[in-house]
Amino acid sequence: MQAKFLILVVFLAIAFVFLAAAASIPNSNILLGIAKIILLLVGITFSILAFASRYYTYLIIPMFQQHSRHLVLSSENAYWLSSSNDAILHKEGEDFVATVIVNIPLYVSSTEMSGEEKLNFAAQVGRLSSITSYPMRITSQLYVMNKDSYIQQLRDTISTMENKEAQLTQEGAPQGEISKVHGALAMWKKMLDNVSKNMSLELATFATISAKGTKEYEAVNAVHQKAMEIMSGIGATLGVSPNLVIGNDILKFIEPEFLIPYSTVSEQITKNIQEEVI
Amino acid sequence: MDEESIMYLVFTLLFYIIAFSVIGSIGHGAVAILILVLLLLGVAVVLMLNWADFILFPIFTSVMGITFQPSANYKINKTQDAVIKEVNGLYYATGFITANLYAYVFKLETSEVVSDNDRIAAAPELWERALISISFPFKYHVFAAGLDVQQVRDELEGKRSYQEFQLSRAIQSNANEVTVTDIQRKISSLQAKIDRISAGEKPLASLMYIETSAIGISEKAATDALASQVRALQIALSGFDVDLTQVRGRELYTLFKFNFAVPTSFAEAAAYFDQQK
Repeated sequence: MQAKFLILVVFLAIAFVFLAAAASIPNSNILLGIAKIILLLVGITFSILAFASRYYTYLIIPMFQQHSRHLVLSSENAYWLSSSNDAILHKEGEDFVATVIVNIPLYVSSTEMSGEEKLNFAAQVGRLSSITSYPMRITSQLYVMNKDSYIQQLRDTISTMENKEAQLTQEGAPQGEISKVHGALAMWKKMLDNVSKNMSLELATFATISAKGTKEYEAVNAVHQKAMEIMSGIGATLGVSPNLVIGNDILKFIEPEFLIPYSTVSEQITKNIQEEVI
Repeated sequence: MDEESIMYLVFTLLFYIIAFSVIGSIGHGAVAILILVLLLLGVAVVLMLNWADFILFPIFTSVMGITFQPSANYKINKTQDAVIKEVNGLYYATGFITANLYAYVFKLETSEVVSDNDRIAAAPELWERALISISFPFKYHVFAAGLDVQQVRDELEGKRSYQEFQLSRAIQSNANEVTVTDIQRKISSLQAKIDRISAGEKPLASLMYIETSAIGISEKAATDALASQVRALQIALSGFDVDLTQVRGRELYTLFKFNFAVPTSFAEAAAYFDQQK
């Protein structure tokens, strides 16, 4: 707040200096008149910058420092994984902010509920957001199912079958055996085609909570404490067993490339490009 | 508008008040008119920045072609409506849409309590129906922070007292029935909220928004796909009767940061979104 206020004061002071300069120049000729207008324009620009510093301090300073159209606000990674493997850390000034993700395994559908059950469920969900006085974010996430390993497995199988078919043909194996391998190969190819053609979506619900600390371990311990409180609250409200998301699974909830796994959608992209070309 | 915004506005407008008062010493005739126009333009820009910076700021960055790197591997485009990440030659564009259900579930008048229940009961089904029609990734975020019970109660009681004063004044001045009914409705609504707090319900401040990501082989393809996903979400969730506006400008940067660390206090969150207070 103090740094922001200082920026406001500095910019306004500069604006007033230019205004005073414009007012003090005598009105003797046209050139001085133009100079006055230019000085006033600079003053107005600084007054606008002074007001903009209310929200845009994070941009105004790099703008003056970098003189580029691509402003680098931070060249560091947005976060890193804690040594406990269950929280991500982020630095904010001198403090560390630890964030954990609590998975809420919720597998119910309104189609199986009566009117009263629907009302109760909506009330439970409403209560979920008030289980703690700490700020918390609850998210419902629809994402593309990661079929990368399955697709890879199918591709490996197809490649093995193709080799087998070629080998049998070269060895002059009986036609029945070749046809059998050929049929299996067609089946796997069709399966790969089907699997990669359609995206399968998954729905996950999770809570995100953060805590600050002057040291990494302090922030992580504080967020663990909050998470425990929230997990017991979720368990009591919804009757489910929430768990902390650990390791690489955290990425699924924060990085876009894990929302849309590459090889799972590659077929879709190729199809879209083909359509565009046609 | 909060105290800080008022302070910024007053200090900045002070410059213009002084400038208007010294126009005579800056120039005469046509020059004075030009200066007056410039000063009025300056005031208009300041006022627009105060109430609609989400319009002005993206225009400025689009015209100047300014892009930002909020952290390694990420980029905010010049139209300020997408955060772009490149991974192995593929571009992922992420955008945000406001979706405050507050009015949907809480801000209702007493006379609508019955329909309130109906709407809440219909919410799970509406949600599932909306999900069925969506075939791309998205996230629905509800950020909630508990408020000081006593402070909220005092605030509500203060508002109720003011409305009661307005009501007595309206009755004394023989105001028309519509005005009286309107004030009575406001009093009932405030009383309903006070009763809910008295019954043990915790007052909450909430911020709800949608995040969606699109993929493309170029930055443009990804942002185009994002734009169509945003439109599809606006259509799919229109049944909830909420304001679904795409987030642009500084709030996009704030929501992007929320992905890695959510605010640890309500005051911190409110400082980012003064309109949400």
